[in-house]
Amino acid sequence: MIFRPNSASGVPIYLQLMEQVKHAVETGALRPGEQLPGIRPLAEELVINPNTVAKAYRELEHEGVIELRHGAGAFVADNARARKSGDKVRAAQPIVAAAVERLRDRGLTDEEIRRLFEAELSGLSKTGGRSA
Amino acid sequence: MPDTLAIHTADLRKTYGDVEALRGLNLAVPPGSIFGFLGRNGAGKTTTIKVLLGMVRPTSGHAQVFGLAADVPESSVEIRRRIGFVSEDKDLVDFMTVEAIIRFTAKFYPRWRTDLEQKYLRLFALPADRRVKALSRGMRTKLALLLALCRGADLLILDEPTSGLDPAVTEEVLQALVAHVANEEAAIFFSTHQIAEVDQIADRVAIVDAGRTVVTGALDDLRESYRRIQFVFDGDAPEPTFRARGVERVRRKGRVLSVLSSAGTEHIVEEARALGPLSVDVVPVTLKEIFLETVTAEG
Amino acid sequence: MVWYKAWLETRWRFLIGLGLVVLGAMGAVFTYPQVASLVTLGEKVDATTRVGRAVVESAHLSRTYAGYIWSQWFGQNLPQYWTVFALMLGSGGLLTQASRGGALYTLSLPASRNELVWTRAAVSLAELAALAIVPALVLPLMSPAVGQTYALGDALVYGVCLFVGGTVLFSATFLLSTVFSDMWKPFLIVLLVAMFVAVCRQIIPALGSYTPFGVMSAETYFRGGTLPWAGLIVSALVSGVLLIGAARNIARQDF
Repeated sequence: MIFRPNSASGVPIYLQLMEQVKHAVETGALRPGEQLPGIRPLAEELVINPNTVAKAYRELEHEGVIELRHGAGAFVADNARARKSGDKVRAAQPIVAAAVERLRDRGLTDEEIRRLFEAELSGLSKTGGRSA
Repeated sequence: MPDTLAIHTADLRKTYGDVEALRGLNLAVPPGSIFGFLGRNGAGKTTTIKVLLGMVRPTSGHAQVFGLAADVPESSVEIRRRIGFVSEDKDLVDFMTVEAIIRFTAKFYPRWRTDLEQKYLRLFALPADRRVKALSRGMRTKLALLLALCRGADLLILDEPTSGLDPAVTEEVLQALVAHVANEEAAIFFSTHQIAEVDQIADRVAIVDAGRTVVTGALDDLRESYRRIQFVFDGDAPEPTFRARGVERVRRKGRVLSVLSSAGTEHIVEEARALGPLSVDVVPVTLKEIFLETVTAEG
Repeated sequence: MVWYKAWLETRWRFLIGLGLVVLGAMGAVFTYPQVASLVTLGEKVDATTRVGRAVVESAHLSRTYAGYIWSQWFGQNLPQYWTVFALMLGSGGLLTQASRGGALYTLSLPASRNELVWTRAAVSLAELAALAIVPALVLPLMSPAVGQTYALGDALVYGVCLFVGGTVLFSATFLLSTVFSDMWKPFLIVLLVAMFVAVCRQIIPALGSYTPFGVMSAETYFRGGTLPWAGLIVSALVSGVLLIGAARNIARQDF
């Protein structure tokens, strides 16, 4: 696991770590069944809070990317589930690409597009954020 | 509380003459956490730490470490048996050598960890026979840290541990702290100006301003609940008084109304929508923005 | 542990002082032969002026070895040297260290304020006792080298009276060191007061036995064979009170 978490970016560190793991799984740097570093050693190596690593691992398990085997550690999930979550993300990618393309065609900047997604995700849609 | 808090203060006050250093400060540090204590210069960080260590007596209020009263001399001695401390100036005994001060300090702590002592001596590359006063700032900090880490303490209290250190040494220090928490199950309470450090290794944070705690909580919770909501109006932005809770700071500039909220984004948006804004934007905020907004606020 | 630190902090003042007083004692012994030969000259000095009277008295005393030793050493030089070191050892301490930045490490140790203060006082007092008694012991040991003898008992009396009578000077400095963070203020204040008292004693000899210096030099013992019991007890009691005051100051201090 060679990366330096960027604490200054707006993205929480546990998400950055999750992205790194997923990326490693997709590129084959981490193979199905392979063991991930332990929570404590990884926290030490990355110089981040052990709870942050624990949270990332929990979320990854929830998404089916890894398995936490009690007493044994964290392991990359077997082929089917790993590929499935990888597939899910890969399948979604063109949808996002198309949406971004269309918004750009309308003349919105990348920053505006990012804000729209953020607003959408934070539940503003329920209260009807944009009123124009 | 099922577990005794590592640190607990309630309405802590300290007045020096006519200067109010602490004006009702509240803190709750759970055991085993890495707790960042942020504040500007003069906000009361060092005074709080000194109260916890029995160096300063509070004017009023309560301060407890592991349930022991910090302002009672007998229990204060007991507290100091169980904690490791590094002062802002990395106070040590200047005329002793590295070896001598380690041996001297070890005598006070029956739970001294010689295994950790060996590990950190090697890791920090501290020269055993150099006098403390001849050490560089970075080495001095590392020595002070070694003396705190090897005590078998359940809590480390560090006053600006990385001040004046270059990025490489800073990372060494942070790494030692994370390793310690991971392996020894101790809690770490550290004050700092460096928000990036808190972002990186802390799991809980308190922001103190003018002797009071203005923000506190788990970092992840803060990141998830604090938002900046920006409203753009057709004419000059109004100055609404929000009934909804969670409004931390409101700013008007021309046609833009900017609200920093700590909770209840939807309700705030609802209230503001009644004023007919042209657009509404919600964005997450970084710890740095939360800090800057909550400590420069007036009143 | 706390003892050891107090020792390390006072060790040089003590060792240098010890060297000085031992050399002084030896000096007093070995200059006796010269002084003895000048005695008759001294007695012929004009005794109408105050200085003249002092010279005549001193010469007169030096007719005997014991008298010489008292007038030059136990009655004068030794108390003076000792006083300087009593004041030096009384100076310093936590408040001074704090103002220079260096007290927080000590204060973060699991030792109570009382422990820190009383340990420092005890170590310094032990050193001062040594500084009073060791040079006194030089007398019985080295006097044979100039063909004289000096009673061990007498030497011990002078040593002990110096120490007990002089503790009040140490304690006063010690107390002031818990009030002023400046290292030199306590020293200078007590020194000035001590000098003032010493001068008064010169001018009004009758006051002599009431001053610390009267007790420290055990004048009543030299002249009449009785120990200055009242002075010793008062000194010890006053010392105790001053030290308790110092401990209270430190216990209340915000660092």
